[in-house]
Amino acid sequence: MTALPPGSATTPPLRPASPAPPSVQRSWAGVLRQELFASRGDGLVSALLILLILASAVGLLRWAFGQAQWAVIQVNTTLFAVGRYPIEQQWRLWLLVVLVAALSGLSWGLLRAFPRADRSGELWPFNDRLAVALLGFLAAWLPAALALGFPLQVRWWAITGLLVAMRWIAGHWGRSWPPRLLKLVPLSWPLLYLLGMVLIAGGLGMSQVSPSNWGGLLLTLLMASFAILLSFPIGVVVALGRRSDLPLLRWSSVLYIEFIRGAPLITLLFLGQNILGYMLPGGWAPDRVWRAAWVLTFFCGAYLAEAVRAGLSAVPPGQLEAARSLGLSMPQALQRVVLPQALRIALPAAVGQFISLLQDTTLLSLIGLLDLLGTARTVMANPEFLGKNAEVYLTLAVLFWCCCAALGLGSRALERRLDPTHSPA
Amino acid sequence: MPSTQPMIEACGVQKWYPNGFHALRGVDLSVSKGEVVVIMGPSGSGKSTFIRTFNALEEFQEGSISVDGIVLSNDLRNIDAIRCDTGMVFQQFNLFPHLTVLENLSLAPVVVRKRRRSEVEAQAMALLERVGIAEQARKYPGQLSGGQQQRVAIARSLCMEPRILLFDEPTSALDPEMVGEVLEVMRNLAADGMTMVVVTHEMGFAREVAHRVVLMSEGQIVEEAPPETFFTNPQHERSRQFLAQIL
Ligand SMILES: Nc1ncnc2c1ncn2[C@@H]1O[C@H](COP(=O)(O)OP(=O)(O)OP(=O)(O)O)[C@@H](O)[C@H]1O
Ligand SMILES: [Mg+2]
Repeated sequence: MTALPPGSATTPPLRPASPAPPSVQRSWAGVLRQELFASRGDGLVSALLILLILASAVGLLRWAFGQAQWAVIQVNTTLFAVGRYPIEQQWRLWLLVVLVAALSGLSWGLLRAFPRADRSGELWPFNDRLAVALLGFLAAWLPAALALGFPLQVRWWAITGLLVAMRWIAGHWGRSWPPRLLKLVPLSWPLLYLLGMVLIAGGLGMSQVSPSNWGGLLLTLLMASFAILLSFPIGVVVALGRRSDLPLLRWSSVLYIEFIRGAPLITLLFLGQNILGYMLPGGWAPDRVWRAAWVLTFFCGAYLAEAVRAGLSAVPPGQLEAARSLGLSMPQALQRVVLPQALRIALPAAVGQFISLLQDTTLLSLIGLLDLLGTARTVMANPEFLGKNAEVYLTLAVLFWCCCAALGLGSRALERRLDPTHSPA
Repeated sequence: MPSTQPMIEACGVQKWYPNGFHALRGVDLSVSKGEVVVIMGPSGSGKSTFIRTFNALEEFQEGSISVDGIVLSNDLRNIDAIRCDTGMVFQQFNLFPHLTVLENLSLAPVVVRKRRRSEVEAQAMALLERVGIAEQARKYPGQLSGGQQQRVAIARSLCMEPRILLFDEPTSALDPEMVGEVLEVMRNLAADGMTMVVVTHEMGFAREVAHRVVLMSEGQIVEEAPPETFFTNPQHERSRQFLAQIL
């Protein structure tokens, strides 16, 4: 030990650890003043922006509640929702909505009942209460605003109630359910998707509803979800293929990615209508709707492959080496070690891809399918609703915005849950 | 004391990297059961390349290697068998950041050896106790210090119950005050009779724990001696130069 300099013979006592950082109390007004009006220049910019926002918001609201004639939407709600899906078969879609609501509520509640191992979870965090309030508001207001008949309004109330009730039940009692039952919940989503397909298309004793009768939001969501779900495995396989040691696999992956990314989607959609029937085994692409679905899937798959590839190269090579040196086989190491990390890194880019895919489904209207935009165009072409474009397009924009917001929110929640070192949220 | 039963036998190993670089130029080494061999040598001399051939993380073109009686060949089943029998500890720890400490330890025994999770976790907790970090079992690697991470990495290797442990500069990425805790764990392992091949520049560890010190230079072994001879009376000019540099 070296001698201590004179004067420091007694070491000062160490300070004890504080349980929490001191919290800074700031009033609302104080926050506002500091954020918006800190200096004269800031204040001017803020004031101008506030005026601008207020002016356009007031204008929009006055139009929406004054001049706009929403009859065009109210009369055509069914058309916008499901297209020309036969009325006597629509109970199948209602059943699907009920199942989706129940399973959503269940999964949501279980997510809160089982917070991640390393953190304490609140049963009803602020965001959840907000979401329930929003759902309640929508259930009360939307059916009335759309001038749905009273029985339909009641149905929507019941469905929303079911969702919230399942959320409540699973949140409070989920912990005491048998683990075997709980393991079934994630598995039930793909099963529900398959069941949904059967309910929509027919089978299992239910009569067939031809895809040419699907339309509106139903068709848009169906196409987007089909492409998103199937493009995911395609993207992962192609991304792995592109990094593979087998030249043939590598080259075909590169060829696929570059071919798809080199052409605009609309050309591919038209091309698909003409040649996909020759390329896929018979029965896989029987009609225009399924052909378009496959084109969307392969299109999204190519972009997703690039996102996954970026994720794969962001995982340090030492991870694979460590896994292999522990004796894991290549597939085991990929599945347990490399892919979970790569996919988490690729998630934001992948979700961006999914959001643009959802919006790209509007191109389906150009090949003559009656997706949301296609339906809108037929409605607007009806002489009865001439000149109601603004109402229709605004509705469409809000619908798409809601879907994309849901995707974005879901992905951010997933990202937080998957991030091992993020603080609880 | 090490027995005479050989655990690793490398004969005339030659390796060229794909760019044509001749990284190993005929290396022979034999490690007995329970022996601790420390490999030293200047940067780029092929130490990492050499010990990574033992568990087939690197291929080699000429010569032969057998580990615990299994001949390393291109047969994938042989490679898997050897990897289950040898643990490896890396300079950069290479813990799996998306798994908790406990999951890091139990992954391979559950997935590869198909053992019951509850039983593996009990064993994992005992191992964490042994390396002194049982209270961190439910944390993620990113929440631990470097020294703690490296001790987890050692415990993770031990959880597969290996017969040989390979260390590639296990303390080089650590802050000085954490080196001691990792070396302490390694010292205890050696005392328990584990067969170890350690690439390190920790002179104290080599002096105290190693049965043999090997010096590599330009892809060859230039000196091989018990530590007392190696550090006090090296036979080769290259060894003297190297020791002069690191002492
Ligand atoms: N993938 C590679 N391709 C080509 N040459 C390589 C590759 N990896 C390593 N080398 C070369 O092989 C030689 C031996 O590398 P190695 O990593 O085994 O050295 P080392 O003795 O472990 O050095 P250090 O003490 O820096 O870790 C070095 O000259 C290095 O440049
Ligand atoms: Mg090295």
